[in-house]
Amino acid sequence: MKPTSHPHTWAIIGASGFIGLRALEGLHDRDGVTVRPVVRAAASLAVLARRRLDWRIADPRDLPALTDALRGCTVCIHAALGDPFQIEQMATVAYQACAAASVRRLVWLSSASVHGQNPAPGTDESSPIHDRHLLAYNNAKVRAERRLEKLSSDGRVEVVRLRPGVVIGPRSRWLTDTVADLRANRAGWLDEGRGVCNSIHADNLVHALRLAATVPAAAGHAFLVGDTEPVTWRDFFLPIAAHLGLPATAFSPATPAALVAKREPALAALTQSRLYQKLGDRVPERTKRLVKALAAAWPDPAPAPDAWTLSRPPSSQLTLEQTLLQSCSWKLPHTKAASLLGYAPPVPFAEGLAASLAWLDFAEGPR
Amino acid sequence: MIAPSSPVAIALVGCGAVSRLFYQPALRELRRHGLVNILAVVDPRADARNTLAAALGAAACTTLDEALALRPELVVIATPPAMHRAQAEAAFAAGCAVLCEKPLAAISVDADAIVTAASRSGRLLAAGHYKRFMPAHRALKTFIERETFGPLLDATLVEGGKFSWPAATDSFFQREQTPGGVLLDIGVHTLDLLRWWLGDPVDFTYADDALDGLEANALLSATFTSGANIRLRLSRDWRTENVYVFRFARATIHSRVNASNQLEITLDGLPMTLAAELRESLPDRPAPPTRAFNTNPQAFIAQLVDVCAAIRESRAPFVPGVEGAHALRWVEACYNRRTPLPLH
Repeated sequence: MKPTSHPHTWAIIGASGFIGLRALEGLHDRDGVTVRPVVRAAASLAVLARRRLDWRIADPRDLPALTDALRGCTVCIHAALGDPFQIEQMATVAYQACAAASVRRLVWLSSASVHGQNPAPGTDESSPIHDRHLLAYNNAKVRAERRLEKLSSDGRVEVVRLRPGVVIGPRSRWLTDTVADLRANRAGWLDEGRGVCNSIHADNLVHALRLAATVPAAAGHAFLVGDTEPVTWRDFFLPIAAHLGLPATAFSPATPAALVAKREPALAALTQSRLYQKLGDRVPERTKRLVKALAAAWPDPAPAPDAWTLSRPPSSQLTLEQTLLQSCSWKLPHTKAASLLGYAPPVPFAEGLAASLAWLDFAEGPR
Repeated sequence: MIAPSSPVAIALVGCGAVSRLFYQPALRELRRHGLVNILAVVDPRADARNTLAAALGAAACTTLDEALALRPELVVIATPPAMHRAQAEAAFAAGCAVLCEKPLAAISVDADAIVTAASRSGRLLAAGHYKRFMPAHRALKTFIERETFGPLLDATLVEGGKFSWPAATDSFFQREQTPGGVLLDIGVHTLDLLRWWLGDPVDFTYADDALDGLEANALLSATFTSGANIRLRLSRDWRTENVYVFRFARATIHSRVNASNQLEITLDGLPMTLAAELRESLPDRPAPPTRAFNTNPQAFIAQLVDVCAAIRESRAPFVPGVEGAHALRWVEACYNRRTPLPLH
C-alpha cells in the first residue's frame, strides 16, 4: 500500500507539470521531504507513479476537493498551470483550501513576468506592478498575487510568492520549443541574441521553493529568483544549436510579425471577457487547450502556394512574448532572496543547460 | 462483411475507457451487421455500467455472475489485469468463450492458469493483441519472412508520448492493480508484434526508470535467431517519433505507430521515399484503383469479427490466448533483468 502521511507533509499542487515534477524530485529524492502530489486527473500520475507516493486527485479550482487533498499538510507549493482566468481562480481557491485544511504556508509560484517580459532597468521586487500588460498571462499573475496579498491579510495562512523568469531544465518548453524551431528551420533571434535572458535552472528554483517553504522571515514577501550569471539569449541558444550540430547561422534575424503581435492580445481579451469567464468552468480542459493550441498555431494569412510556386523555408517569426523577452536589457536581481532567504543558486547556468540537453537526448531516444 | 448463422451473444466485463472508446463503437457496428448480440455489461461502478448499458442497449450488471446467468457465448474481459484470471475462469466454468484484453493477466502465472482453464473447458480463448490485425503489420511480417528486401538487419522502434489515456481511476498506476508501467501497458503490444514477426529473442537487455513504482520510460535491446538486432524505446513521459524503423538489406521501412494501412518505403539507391497506402491487390492488367485496407479502429473490429467467426467455425482465433501469455512472460523477463535508467 501507499505510505502514510508524515506529520510534516508538503503538498505540491500541479506535481505532474515541468516545475512541479522537478520540485517533487528534488524535495522527495534529495531532501527526504514527505511530499504529497496533487494532480487534476488520474492520467497525470503516469510519471509520478515511478515512485510510490501518497497522491491525491483534485481540481485546483474545486475548493472542497482541494481542501480534502491538503489535509495533514503543513506546506503547500502551488505549481499548477492554467489559463489567465484559471490562474486568478486558483489563487483564491488555493488560499481558502490551505486555510480550511490548516496548512501553515502557501508557496505560490508566480512569475517574473508580473514586471513584464522586458522590465525597465532597475526593476526589483519594490517596483510597482500593474495589470495592463499586453500579455494576459502577466496580468493574471499580477491579479493572482494581489488576491493572495488581500486574502492573507486575515493571517490564517502565510503566503510566499516566488517570481522566476525563464525556467530551464528537463521538460522546459524554452528548451524543447527552441529545438523544434531549429529542426524546422524557423529559429530566429533579435539582435543576434544579445538581449538578457532572465534564466533560472529548475533546480535553482527548487532550491528557492525549499527556502520559501521553510524560512520564517519569508512570510508575506515576493521574491525574484534567477541564475547567478548574467545570461543572454545567445548564451542559451548557441549551445542548443551546437548540440544539434548546427551553426549560429541556424538562427536568422527575426522581426515580430504584426499579426502575431495582434493575436495574443486578442486571445487575452477573449479569455478575460465576462462571457468567457462565465463559460470557463463549463468547457472541458482538453477543449480549452485544443482551442488555444489551434489559435497559437493558426497560420498567418499568406498567398496559398500553387503548383507554380517554389517551396521556401519557413520564416523566423517571433511571438510577442519572445519579442519582448529577447528585447530585455535588465537582469532581474535576486538580492532580496539572497539576503532574506539565503538563496544561493547551486546550479551554474552552463551546467544546467548541459544537463537539460542530456535529458533531451534521453527523452528522444535512439535516433 | 459476412454474418455468421446467428449473432454471437456477448457480455462485456469492465466499463472503463477501453470499453467506452473501443468496444462500444466496435460492438455497435458488429450488431448492425448482425454479428453480435450484446447481452450485458458488467462493472461495480453504477455510473459507468449504466452509461455503457444504455449506449449498447444491454443489461447493466453489477457482477459477472449476473451476466453469466444471461448465458452469453463470449465474455469480453476489459478490466484491470489483476481481475482477468478470476473472471476468465468463471467465464470458462460457465461454458463461455473469452476474449481477454491485453495484458492477458497481471502476472504470467495467472496467464498460464487462464490458458489452462480454457484448454480444460474446451472453449476459445483469444488475446486482445489487435495490432496483429493491422495491414501494415501483416505486410511487415511478410517482408521479414520472405526477405522481400533482403534480410532484416536491425530495427529501431520508438513509441509513446505524454500519457493521455482517460483513465477513470488511479488503478492504472497502482502496483496492486497493474503491476507494470509503460512496458506492460503499450509495450506488451510491441513485444507481441516482435515475437510474431521474429520469434522469441535469443538474448535481450532491459532498463527502465521505475524507482519503487511503475516505469514511465523503458529501453529494450534484443537479438533474434535471424541475427536481427532490435532497439525499442517506450515512453509515457515525453513525446516520441512514434515510429518503427526496419532496416533491410535493400530498403528501409518506416511504420508509424497505429498508422494501420500505411508504410514509408525507402529503396536503396532511390533518392526518395514511397509513402504507401496499403490497398487490396491490383491485378496484373489495367484496372481501377482498389480500396484501402483497414484503419486502426477497423483493425480492432477485425479482431472481434475473427473471434466471432472462430466461435461459429469451431476454430482457433487469429491471436490465441497462449500468445498473450508468451508476451506477458517476456514482459516479466524484462522486469526480472531490469537495470535502472538514469533519471535526468
